[in-house]
Amino acid sequence: MEFSWPWEYDFPPFFTLQPNLDTQKKQLEAWRKLVIDYCRHNKIFVLDVQESMPLFQNKTIDRQLSSEGIKRVLEILQENQQIEWCDKSKKQCFVYWKTPQEWGNLIYRYIIDKGMTNTVCTFYELTEGDDVKNEEFAGLDKSILLKALETLEASNKAEVIMFGGSEGVKFF
Amino acid sequence: MRKRPGIGAIHKQRVEQERFRGKATELQDNVFEQMANQMEKFRTNLENFASKHRNEIKKNPTFRKQFQEMCASIGVDPLASSKGFWSELLGVGDFYYEIAVQVIEVCMATSQRNGGLITLGELRQKLIKARGKAQHHQNISNDDIIRAIKKLKVLGSGFSIISLKETQDSSDVLIRSIPGELNADHTEVLKIAEAQAFTTIETLKCKLKWDDVRCQQILNELIRDGVAWVDGQSTTKTYWFPSFFKPLINEG
Repeated sequence: MEFSWPWEYDFPPFFTLQPNLDTQKKQLEAWRKLVIDYCRHNKIFVLDVQESMPLFQNKTIDRQLSSEGIKRVLEILQENQQIEWCDKSKKQCFVYWKTPQEWGNLIYRYIIDKGMTNTVCTFYELTEGDDVKNEEFAGLDKSILLKALETLEASNKAEVIMFGGSEGVKFF
Repeated sequence: MRKRPGIGAIHKQRVEQERFRGKATELQDNVFEQMANQMEKFRTNLENFASKHRNEIKKNPTFRKQFQEMCASIGVDPLASSKGFWSELLGVGDFYYEIAVQVIEVCMATSQRNGGLITLGELRQKLIKARGKAQHHQNISNDDIIRAIKKLKVLGSGFSIISLKETQDSSDVLIRSIPGELNADHTEVLKIAEAQAFTTIETLKCKLKWDDVRCQQILNELIRDGVAWVDGQSTTKTYWFPSFFKPLINEG
């Protein structure tokens, strides 16, 4: 299904950091929402700032957000804990359109529904297997999966283990 | 020799004047009484008429408007209070009250985007959408909305109506739902910006014959009010107005 861009995306001033601070606040909030919605729709788990240009520009109206603007948008996302930098270089970030906690809960509910507690799954089975094809967490980035499982570990619902050379997890 | 008017004559004159005055007052009273009777009769007829055509008034905006004008001509305001004969007879008070509440809702929902400035056309579009599917819910006219808003104004709610042109066409009337009236200069700029949802200083200078300073100042005020946004990537700086931006208007 085609991503439906918000009205702001076709509005030329949307790509200029607004001088009126109240308006700027609305603008950045709209960008924040756009980034999250776009990533959710396209199942983007990791955003490469350089390559994210298509998101921050609209070729049809020949406008693009400046690097200062992009920086401000990412700041807002970070403040909302909706992105996490992969490293200090701030070239890539995880995008949490669902937080690791939310992913963890989603996966755990799936496990309960399938009666798979007290069994072991490999990471591969959890994200790439045929059984999970239609689940929201299909294709989940491995790093985020790990973070999600760590939240479950914290509440004693799972334990990450190595078995047979693969990474896996046991659910309780 | 002609007798000069004596006290007696003056007195007599005065008495006659009094009598005339009294007569005039009496006449006035008579006429007044007749007028009052006429008005009463007229009023009763109007009420009967309203009662008979109650449904028509509710369903038909044109009819409703004519009825309103008829009432206004004899100094009767069906919207004066939400209680009382008229609103009970027609439910007319409620009808406009309902519209007024919905107008507030639409304005509150959209003011984030358009800085509290919305065209009458978009307002009506969204009101119709928000109201039920029932036929009489659909038939609200621009006139109905303006009347409802005027009632809001009386309550001092910070609503103001801005006419860009002499007509009452949907796009030529703007509703401001945030206090702080836009002055004549602001309105001039809005008139020019309306067509394409944007304008430039060059355009304003050309059409209004203002100097740079005045153009910039008015635009700055519109930016400060949250009604205008700046586009810094056009050849010359362009000033855009979400209130007139079609993709926004047509969205949800």
